[in-house]
Amino acid sequence: MNQIYMDYAATTPTDHRVVEAMLPCFGEVYGNPSSLHAFGQEAHGAMEEARAKIAAFLGAKPAEIVFTSGGTESDNLAVKGVVYANRKKGDHIITSAIEHHAVRETCRFLEAEGFKVTYVPVDGDGLVDPASVAEAITDKTILISIMHANNEIGTIQPIAEIGRLARERGVCFHTDAVQTFGQLPFTVDELNVDLMSASAHKLYGPKGVGLLYIRKGTRIMPFMHGGEQENGRRASTQNIPGIVGFGKAVELAKASLSEEAARLAAMRDRFIRGVFERLDGIRLNGHPTRRLPNNINLSVESVEGEGMILSLDMLGIACSTGSACSSSSLEPSHVLLAIGLPHEFSHGSLRFSLGRYTRESDIDAVLETLPQVVGRLRALSPVHAEKK
Amino acid sequence: MKKVVVAMSGGVDSSVAALLLKERGHEVVGVTMCLGVVPAEGGRAKCCGPREIEDARRVCRTLVIRHYVMDFSADLEENVIRPFVEEYCRGRTPNPCVACNRSIKFGSFLEKALAWGFDGIATGHYAGIELENGAYRLKRPKDRRKDQTYFLHAIPKEALAKVLFPLAEYTKEEVRGFAKRAGLPVFDKPESQDICFIPAEGHGAFLRSRGAGIEPGEIADREGRVLGRHRGIACYTIGQRGGLGISSPTPLYVLKIDAARNRLVVGEKRELRSESLVADQVNWLVDALPEEAWAKIRYAHRAARCRISQNGDRLAVRFAEPQEAVSPGQSVVFYDGATVLGGGVIQEDCGGTR
Repeated sequence: MNQIYMDYAATTPTDHRVVEAMLPCFGEVYGNPSSLHAFGQEAHGAMEEARAKIAAFLGAKPAEIVFTSGGTESDNLAVKGVVYANRKKGDHIITSAIEHHAVRETCRFLEAEGFKVTYVPVDGDGLVDPASVAEAITDKTILISIMHANNEIGTIQPIAEIGRLARERGVCFHTDAVQTFGQLPFTVDELNVDLMSASAHKLYGPKGVGLLYIRKGTRIMPFMHGGEQENGRRASTQNIPGIVGFGKAVELAKASLSEEAARLAAMRDRFIRGVFERLDGIRLNGHPTRRLPNNINLSVESVEGEGMILSLDMLGIACSTGSACSSSSLEPSHVLLAIGLPHEFSHGSLRFSLGRYTRESDIDAVLETLPQVVGRLRALSPVHAEKK
Repeated sequence: MKKVVVAMSGGVDSSVAALLLKERGHEVVGVTMCLGVVPAEGGRAKCCGPREIEDARRVCRTLVIRHYVMDFSADLEENVIRPFVEEYCRGRTPNPCVACNRSIKFGSFLEKALAWGFDGIATGHYAGIELENGAYRLKRPKDRRKDQTYFLHAIPKEALAKVLFPLAEYTKEEVRGFAKRAGLPVFDKPESQDICFIPAEGHGAFLRSRGAGIEPGEIADREGRVLGRHRGIACYTIGQRGGLGISSPTPLYVLKIDAARNRLVVGEKRELRSESLVADQVNWLVDALPEEAWAKIRYAHRAARCRISQNGDRLAVRFAEPQEAVSPGQSVVFYDGATVLGGGVIQEDCGGTR
């Protein structure tokens, strides 16, 4: 069976050129980058080469890049690190209602620790209004953390504008750019951010490596204690193969960034048009235009997301749904709830995310298969039968 | 039947069902039904909780089959839990496993599996299905001590052609042996016997949490003499002895639950006997009934010889020997040898000495 992978927002396959770049780091360039001898220096050189490449891509200085184990760690370091370093100045955090769990749960943890958190709402397209962020700022606000683009619905936030407001008010600003890094062209200065999280495995790099950009002069408290690696901001021997792979992945992304974004956006739009032509009772979640070039999030009326995932998976099509089984039932995601998804749509959401190896023929195959699957499942639904 | 979905609870029986089907060459996928059953604080859900889902997932990983979690909590609420609470409020003793099998496992779950593109479903029930003269028949399993056909009598007859019971030919001990040999992590998991959505605190607490009015009331004998007080009729079942708080020279048993008057009627053991009963919500799994059959009036009952006469939707069942503690709300299930004929829900017992 021909397998079609449309879950690039969850993770991407590691590009073979990235794997090739990493291979020498296992058996040849295996030194500890902190060691003083030739082996260590060689590893250190490879790491710093990657750091310089990534920093240049972001318009940052190499010393502003801290390598971590991934996006979640970067978000934790940014949010906890900034608020603990600034707790004498204040105790208030501003974030959005649709953040990734890595930021959301970190904020919840900090609330339990006594910090105060404002979760600014989003509109029906998932957009944060910069004015509502500005209104939420108090003289106790020490961090604003708003994601660059949402991982579920793909809406891209007005980060540069929020960053400008934050800077005017002297509040530190973090963005989780895990979904946009390597997918959209930007520099940290264009976005007006003080901190930015990214992860390698979302851009055809390996799993287990990420980064946090920390603007020079930003006060941050490390929570990994040990050696002096990463300028004392993140102890632990660096993951050299991962970092070298990350560098290669960024290099590859940079080489084709705008063409690839245009190619994906064209396929995304054809996908969306095609679904609306073939099916009724469909809703596109997220902003119609200000969205990730590879994201398609649909709600299908009176059909359960899990049933569609299973049926599509049986037919070789991999996508994801916006709900997760909590202790009580399969709950619609906090993102779909925050955009006010109508009840009849709330259980039937599907996310397709495209990527480097997606071809037009894959879009054709899904456009042919999805209506059949939805038709079969809708035939079961008493709600849908009544409406007909 | 090539492509089969196995309903996997995370227990040993459904895990071995998946194992056996895979060994027999079926294309197998595991699905765990998320039923919205919340475990008590720090406790372990009897089934379908997050840990059970994780167990099912581990088993599927071991078997190298795919696993999915599907939400059936709204279905369970509407078709099983709500009727369960209502029945208790009416002074009856419902059997939610019968309702769950009829409307969920072999109802909506089966329908969905077919819509997902499968040829049928399988479960880890101890029961069998055989093709006899061109028709599928529900059969008692090899392990008679584990026989679960009582809970399966109400499933739609047409479902039998789309269902596999891979454990039909095996005993529980053999099933555990298979699980152990295959390295399934759940091989020694303890049995769950209770109703999955009832928490450890018991029926009374659950019904109260569901807003069922559980009011104390009178306990009386058949002549209407008040002998004591009860804690709420939902806490009692017919045939129950003890727990009544009444001192009496002869042991007293619950004979009748009178919901209209919120009253328990008690009497002596011999008064529990009934020669006949009436049932409705009848479901037949065969085309014609034999002259005589054997009926079970609850899961642990030894089947009793009886004659059945059907009048529209209602059945009258007359036993060869009077039976004890016929309980409205429980199922009466009919057998002819190893074949399950079908059954219905007991509405009332019809006298005898009572």
